[in-house]
Amino acid sequence: MAGIYLHIPFCKQACTYCDFYFETSQKHRAGFTNRLLREIDAASDSFFSDTRFETIYIGGGTPSRLSSEEVSSILKRLHDRFTVDTNAEITMEVNPDDITQEKLQSWKDAGVNRLSIGIQTFDENRLKFMNRAHTPDEARNALRMISEAGFKSLTADLIYGNPGQTAESVRKDIAELMRFDPPHISAYTLTVEPNTRLGSMVRKNLVQPAEDDEVALQMDVVVEELRRHGIERYEVSNFAKPGHESKHNGAYWYHKNYLGLGPSAHSFWWDYDREKACRWFTKPSLKKYMETDPLPLVKSLSEFVESGEKWELAEAEWLNLNQLGEERLLTGMRTREGVKEAELNSRYDYELSQNQIKFIDHLRQKGLMFPDDPLRFTSEGMKIADYLILDIITKRPS
Amino acid sequence: MKHIRNFCIIAHIDHGKSTLADRLLERTGAITEREMQSQILDDMDLERERGITIKSHAIKMDYVSPADKQKYVFNLIDTPGHVDFAYEVSRALKACEGALLIVDAAQGIEAQTISNLYQAIEQDLEIIPVLNKIDLPGADIEVAAQQVMDLIGCEFDEILQVSGKTGIGVDELLEAIVQRVPPPKGDPEKPLKALIFDSVFNTYRGSIVYVRIMDGTLRKGDSIKFMAVDEEYDADEIGYLRIKDEPCDVLKAGEVGYVIGSVKSLEHTKVGDTVTTVKNPAKEPIAGYKEVKPMVFSGIYPTDSEDFESLRSALEKLQLNDASLQFVPETSAALGFGFRAGFLGMLHMEIIQERLEREFDMNIITTVPNVEFEIINRDGKKVTVDNPSEMPDAGNVEKVFEPYIKAQIITPSEYIGAIMKLCQERRGVYVNTTYLDGTRVDITYELPLAEVVFDFYDKLKSFSRGYASLDYEFIGQREGTMVRLDILLNGEPVDALSSIVHREKAYEWGKKLCAKLRELIPRQMYEVAVQAAIGNKVIARDTVRALRKDVLAKCYGGDVSRKRKLLEKQKEGKKRMKQVGSVEIPQEAFLAVLSMNND
Repeated sequence: MAGIYLHIPFCKQACTYCDFYFETSQKHRAGFTNRLLREIDAASDSFFSDTRFETIYIGGGTPSRLSSEEVSSILKRLHDRFTVDTNAEITMEVNPDDITQEKLQSWKDAGVNRLSIGIQTFDENRLKFMNRAHTPDEARNALRMISEAGFKSLTADLIYGNPGQTAESVRKDIAELMRFDPPHISAYTLTVEPNTRLGSMVRKNLVQPAEDDEVALQMDVVVEELRRHGIERYEVSNFAKPGHESKHNGAYWYHKNYLGLGPSAHSFWWDYDREKACRWFTKPSLKKYMETDPLPLVKSLSEFVESGEKWELAEAEWLNLNQLGEERLLTGMRTREGVKEAELNSRYDYELSQNQIKFIDHLRQKGLMFPDDPLRFTSEGMKIADYLILDIITKRPS
Repeated sequence: MKHIRNFCIIAHIDHGKSTLADRLLERTGAITEREMQSQILDDMDLERERGITIKSHAIKMDYVSPADKQKYVFNLIDTPGHVDFAYEVSRALKACEGALLIVDAAQGIEAQTISNLYQAIEQDLEIIPVLNKIDLPGADIEVAAQQVMDLIGCEFDEILQVSGKTGIGVDELLEAIVQRVPPPKGDPEKPLKALIFDSVFNTYRGSIVYVRIMDGTLRKGDSIKFMAVDEEYDADEIGYLRIKDEPCDVLKAGEVGYVIGSVKSLEHTKVGDTVTTVKNPAKEPIAGYKEVKPMVFSGIYPTDSEDFESLRSALEKLQLNDASLQFVPETSAALGFGFRAGFLGMLHMEIIQERLEREFDMNIITTVPNVEFEIINRDGKKVTVDNPSEMPDAGNVEKVFEPYIKAQIITPSEYIGAIMKLCQERRGVYVNTTYLDGTRVDITYELPLAEVVFDFYDKLKSFSRGYASLDYEFIGQREGTMVRLDILLNGEPVDALSSIVHREKAYEWGKKLCAKLRELIPRQMYEVAVQAAIGNKVIARDTVRALRKDVLAKCYGGDVSRKRKLLEKQKEGKKRMKQVGSVEIPQEAFLAVLSMNND
């Protein structure tokens, strides 16, 4: 059981807040697609070849910048080379301004069954501030077209906690989105990343980031409003109607193996009977990607990793069981399901120390965690999850 | 002996002492150009970074005078240049017969220079005045020369004009050293008297002692005795101080060199002590030895209580290099086991702190520095307090005495107003003002040392655009109305945050301190109340609000990797936090007082 992530590094323009890897020039799109196909070929003859894939996620960048033919050729190649479940979750990220009925149909024909649409907000000024390429009306039209096109599932991205935003405007965004009845929503707090335009504006004091207290308030509003519409939080930023939770995201949190293709994509491989796992990524450079041959994903992981020193295009890190256990706490405690102590013990050989148990009991008494196994946060705890997880982890002698 | 010249350099920080010294080394071939690293005498990283000399050094040079074709031996003894190290300076001066007085031709004389100069004159050193940096466009040779003439009563012609940077005048300087610095006196046949002017610790060889032989002869293998501490060792190795130590068999009166004698015991090689031989000991030690008395005290604690022993051994090692560092174990309710350490001054304290962190990789918490108070209790008993938590309750205190200093400040006259205002604010008592020349003033104040240790020097510098200089000496204890100001976090007093302050300043101080702590203590799970109190009376309050949001928005493939790396960093950060009761306090908070006035 595993997932495939494809990174399509093309965007119409740069969003103010975004620090994912992308290029705004479309010049190398065709060349990129060819290179990606070659990478698929190379990866299929490797330790991934016996893997059954149950999710494919085409992200970016903006994958909807690709032509219909490019999308279908990529998906076709994946199906040709790998074992992909017949009812696999195949998601593609799209932007409202790229959407036409023809394109929707072609994506459906290519096998995409779940769209992830970047709405972010319906507020015109805020869209401009974010330097998004679409208008509120384009967003509405796109959502209408998508619901008519009949995809199996849909998720819409929202961003809240923007400079100057109020809880009221968050409520308005959600109400507007609810008119289109999406079964899944990713609602992210705005993160000011240093290497973005937003980051530089904040540094220059041109923009005042929202206060944490205000963002916390808005987070409550998001959780509460979505719940009213039957959309439950299952992770810090992810909300779904029952059965519509993203399977692909789960792969990252449960340490399932995943294969990342394209510049900046991360891959992860762990033979579960071994005490080490490997995570590697392709460097975020389209130029380098195009100029270099695909990684030699050979038959055995160790052989692959041994060749790692020579890679120009990628970097790898080994993770030991303790690090993996910490990661599992880190990702799992962000989810509704939490992490079972038994799973930590058996899969990660990670035993909670007396200090940790004492601290966890304290958090339970204070209503920041639920009282029973698994280890999981209440919505109050979830708001300061990073702080609490760090405390939990550091309470274990290393 | 008549071909030996022992001399030091007296200069204010930044007046180009180290650069000029480098030039002398280069000209005499003591170092090749390849070995040349800028400012070779300052061999501690810290010294190089701060551009100041902390320890005394010495280096031997060979010089053939073009005038008489004779070979001379020069020993340059480099001295510290900060008011904190006045005693080390005095011992280094004692080892010399001459001193180069180096004055920046653009800056003129400064207080530190004058104080060291007077010491040198007192010890009968031959002073060779040198104007440095004459190549600079801002150099005003006439004015600087006039100041020098006024100060030491020399003629214009006696003042050398050089540039350490370009090398102008260096040859003349070398010749002047031969002609004007007298050769050392002393009798090689008398019982050995060797003055320790510094010692450094080497992990493998123990203490390496730098000495000037005043009388007698020291031979390799001699049984030797350190007179003040009364300890005996064998001189396993002796030698000359070159860029690399150069072992030899004999050091005679007048010479400068080093002695290694497996001195592992840490307090046996004190600056100022006399080395003599066991067989034929000197009757009297060299005059002037004194136990250096620390002026400023603070707690030093390991962040991780398990590092207590490593901290002890690190302090012991530093102490060998630095006899003026003193420390005794103490316990704090908040910080656990640690030490109360005494320093010569604030710079000294900062240096020790930095060296513990850099050279010994220690993670430490330093508490608010304070001076030593003498307290007379109601029952008439006198106690000395160097730790605020030892201060008796206000109801028990009859009188408090605090140390006072006489501060000599030299400044361009346009800053007089600002500087006098600063001194008044610091409870200073005005003594007098003397005009050194048309534009420069010597202002004297008597100030409580407690008011000077914090940021007086920084303030002085910033009020005078860096031009004012400070020198001070201890003048005695005076009565003051001092109170202990406690800090409470969530109602619990944190002893390590207590300080002793003047009653009239307590309210202002408490308010500022609470505000600063609010800034420095990160938001945590719960609200943290920060209170300042005198006895049971709360005089100021502030609040660190509870953390409301701290969670990453995205956590997918690459984010997990990023998050894990962040986690490793945060774990390190956690190590620098101290849990006191339910509150996590970062290291910086314990020194909040120091950064309080910068806002």
